[in-house]
Amino acid sequence: MWFRVSSMKVEASAGSQNMPPLLKVENLVKCYARRNLAGVREELLALNGVSFTVFPGTTLAVVGESGSGKSTLASCLACLESPTSGKIWFEGKDIVKVEERVRRQLRPQIQLIFQDPASSLNPRWSVLEILLEPLILRRKFTREEMRQCASSLLERVGISPDIVERPPTELSGGQRQRLAIARALALEPKLLILDEALSALDCSVQAQIANLLRELQSSLGMTYLFVTHDLAMAVYLADEIAVMSGGRIVELGSAEQILNQPQHETTRQLLRAWPRMARALPAPEQ
Amino acid sequence: MRYLLRRLSHALFLLAGVSILAFLFAALAPGTYFDEMRLNPQIAPETVAALRAQYGFDKPLPVRYASWLSSVIHGEMGFSFAYNSPVAPLLLVRARNTLLLTITATLLAWGIALPLGVWSADRLGRLPDRLLSWATAGLLVIPDLALALGLLVLAVRSGWFPTGGMASVDFETLSPFNKLRDMALHMILPVTALVLSSLPLLVRHVRAALADVLKAPFLLAAVGHGIPKRALLYHYALPAAANPLISLFGFSIGVLLSGSLLIEVVMSWPGLGPLLLEAVLARDLYVVVGGILGSTLFLVGGNLLADLLLYWADPRIRTESGAR
Amino acid sequence: MREWRTFAKWLVVLGVLHGMVVCAGFFAPYDPVEQDRQSPYLPPMRLHLLDAHGHLHVRPFVYSLRLREGSFDQYEEETTEPHPVKFFLNGAGYRLLGFLPLRMHFFGGESTRIYLLGTDAYGRDQLSRLLFGGQVSLFAGLLGAGVTLFIGLSIGAVAGYYGGWRDSLLMRVAELFLALPWLYLLFALRAFLPLAVSPLEAFFLITAVFGAVGWARPARLVRGVVLSAKERDFVRAARGFGASTGYLLRRHILPETSSVLLTQAAILIPQYVLAEMTLSFLGLGVPEPVPSWGNLLSGLQQYSVLVSYWWMYLPAVIMVPFFLGYLGLASSLPEPEEASKIQRSSLGSLT
Repeated sequence: MWFRVSSMKVEASAGSQNMPPLLKVENLVKCYARRNLAGVREELLALNGVSFTVFPGTTLAVVGESGSGKSTLASCLACLESPTSGKIWFEGKDIVKVEERVRRQLRPQIQLIFQDPASSLNPRWSVLEILLEPLILRRKFTREEMRQCASSLLERVGISPDIVERPPTELSGGQRQRLAIARALALEPKLLILDEALSALDCSVQAQIANLLRELQSSLGMTYLFVTHDLAMAVYLADEIAVMSGGRIVELGSAEQILNQPQHETTRQLLRAWPRMARALPAPEQ
Repeated sequence: MRYLLRRLSHALFLLAGVSILAFLFAALAPGTYFDEMRLNPQIAPETVAALRAQYGFDKPLPVRYASWLSSVIHGEMGFSFAYNSPVAPLLLVRARNTLLLTITATLLAWGIALPLGVWSADRLGRLPDRLLSWATAGLLVIPDLALALGLLVLAVRSGWFPTGGMASVDFETLSPFNKLRDMALHMILPVTALVLSSLPLLVRHVRAALADVLKAPFLLAAVGHGIPKRALLYHYALPAAANPLISLFGFSIGVLLSGSLLIEVVMSWPGLGPLLLEAVLARDLYVVVGGILGSTLFLVGGNLLADLLLYWADPRIRTESGAR
Repeated sequence: MREWRTFAKWLVVLGVLHGMVVCAGFFAPYDPVEQDRQSPYLPPMRLHLLDAHGHLHVRPFVYSLRLREGSFDQYEEETTEPHPVKFFLNGAGYRLLGFLPLRMHFFGGESTRIYLLGTDAYGRDQLSRLLFGGQVSLFAGLLGAGVTLFIGLSIGAVAGYYGGWRDSLLMRVAELFLALPWLYLLFALRAFLPLAVSPLEAFFLITAVFGAVGWARPARLVRGVVLSAKERDFVRAARGFGASTGYLLRRHILPETSSVLLTQAAILIPQYVLAEMTLSFLGLGVPEPVPSWGNLLSGLQQYSVLVSYWWMYLPAVIMVPFFLGYLGLASSLPEPEEASKIQRSSLGSLT
């Protein structure tokens, strides 16, 4: 199988610790208020004080069950939602407090890849329009320029350029996710957030995309924040792993530490869900 | 309980808002009943001015609204200039006549639509269902006006039914039994027109609601348990389709006062419809506002009734609002 | 997709029907306001191929009508002289589509006037009045639906996209409008505007009234679509690329409302045509002498007219094929999942 322990990761990000952190999150809190069917007001605390740091060129995986708050974290970091309180420092600037105009300038540098490849691409548009949307927003292209740009972007993620005129519904799940990645990369972001980006794909396709991501990271020097419920995937891709539960980070450490010396019960439960690793663990405390 | 109170206050808010809107529409209209009077050379201008002052037409709008609202709460709905009588009793009599028609028609229509819709949904896609769909589509596209006029012609040609109005000329002299029979005869045509115009949509909605439910897995499980067809349809499927049907029913209640306007006018039935039409043509302010308020009362009341029935019928709403 | 083929089929049917009405000047033999006082309440003339002597004619022909002896409103055919129907002949001038002056008519009579659908009290040709009346009634329906949908789209988009107090306020107002009895409100609004207006003014007045009364339901539906579209991943992704609100609405969100708008249009247009007919029938709509399907029927308020002169009933059923077309169109539109649940919001077509 393709999941091997983090020994592979050692070469990649050796020098990164000396540079300043790319992303620093301090005490992030997000609270949702809503009315249910009978009109009663309910409050949901999705993030309850989350803090961590990510260095350039590395991958941080945020692992947790559904409802642990990890998708909310991804949305807040991508500036698609505003946190109730807390700070997010990107390249030293607090991006929570800036005005929308300045934030729009910053947006190209943090991009988000969504879980469902079908819904993140507008089914009424063609591949060409979808792919180049981030660039067309900024300047005008001629038809020829569009084709060339699209070709190079698609090549980078391993899709043949002759599908540009088709609607995304004619692509497979793996191709769509590659397309989404290609589109995100068009803006040359410094930070790529992947919100369960592989969860909706078949096993073998997951492996292909995971490898693609690793290649891109080493060739482009990208930083990844990888949100997932799959601990195995996290171990394969990440340098550091943060385990989330109930809106907080309950354990944070290198992939090796998490794998071999899990401290928190949630981490151990996640490991137990990974059949091969479960055998090595002590039985759950009753 | 909280849910019910919320719905009630919501309904009251709607009524208040509607009363303001209705009053504004009417009061801001160019021209009043008194313009006609002013043109009449037989009435002295001083009389017109005195009448205007008496009814407070010279005061500013909010004052007029406030005084109108306070009198409405006391049961007084203003004065009708055209009929020279207080509005409330006028409206009540006409509303009673209208309700006589519409309640009968609504009961009949639901009585036919429910079994028909269930029967049709049971045979979904097969020939009887398709024929019924065609029939309802055909009825649906015939305008009320055409139906009413057509039925009138039928009445005249056949001589079986009276051609309009609510009572024969010699109504007062008839025995109680014959009075009832006379009224029923007069009612047949308008009720038929009302039923025919509302039936197709009702049948379609019932059929659609049932069809949705019949696809559900729990129905299949019931079939697997060997439950007989009639019980299946009426004791399992129909209650599950209750939500949209209750909303539909609330709507039927809502249009009890306002849905028969055209048919009443065409068939000379002395209901709220012809009254409103005349009032509108004569610019009789208080009658129009009273009529709009009355029918809105029914609309809002119908919705509220549907909400209450839904609360009672659907346990999900109860637990959501009660669970703490 | 197969659904589009049925949709296209209904569109063609409606197109043909509307085309005949649009080209009323061509298909109608006479001017709709032209009176023929000598021939009040003529029954429809029958087309014949076989004459009284048993000869077969190549061209269809009609007989002129004369009053039966001893009667003042019963007519019979004068079988002595057949009057052939001529096609593509020149007649009264008209303007096609409002600007093209033409004189050619589809059919007509040279030796006598041909009244295929009879005449009314002033001797005006009913067929011509029906066709021209359709222009008024159908156009009122279309324009009214356009105004309603435009207002509903704007308000629904603002409420759905911005949410917050704007949404609450707008939806409360919409609820208010929905709580008002539609037809009553129409009447009140129309009649509280000046009663004696020119036909053109009346036309635009009732169209505006339609818009003012009917926007609430489309607004609610559009709001629902915009609310859910706003949260779709591709919209969030576009926000992530730095797209402005205007771009998001224009390129991603509003296109999602197209199916709701189309369905609403197919429901509203017949509703408004009927409303115009009702208003005109009762004297509150388009006034004489401009014909509309509604005011063509206003004479029938005396039902004696209907009993004696059955052809005067035709305007009451002329719109049936049109409504069938719109019904077919509405059924053939693919339904979004939210709309297929029967909610109170979709029941408005009942009044």
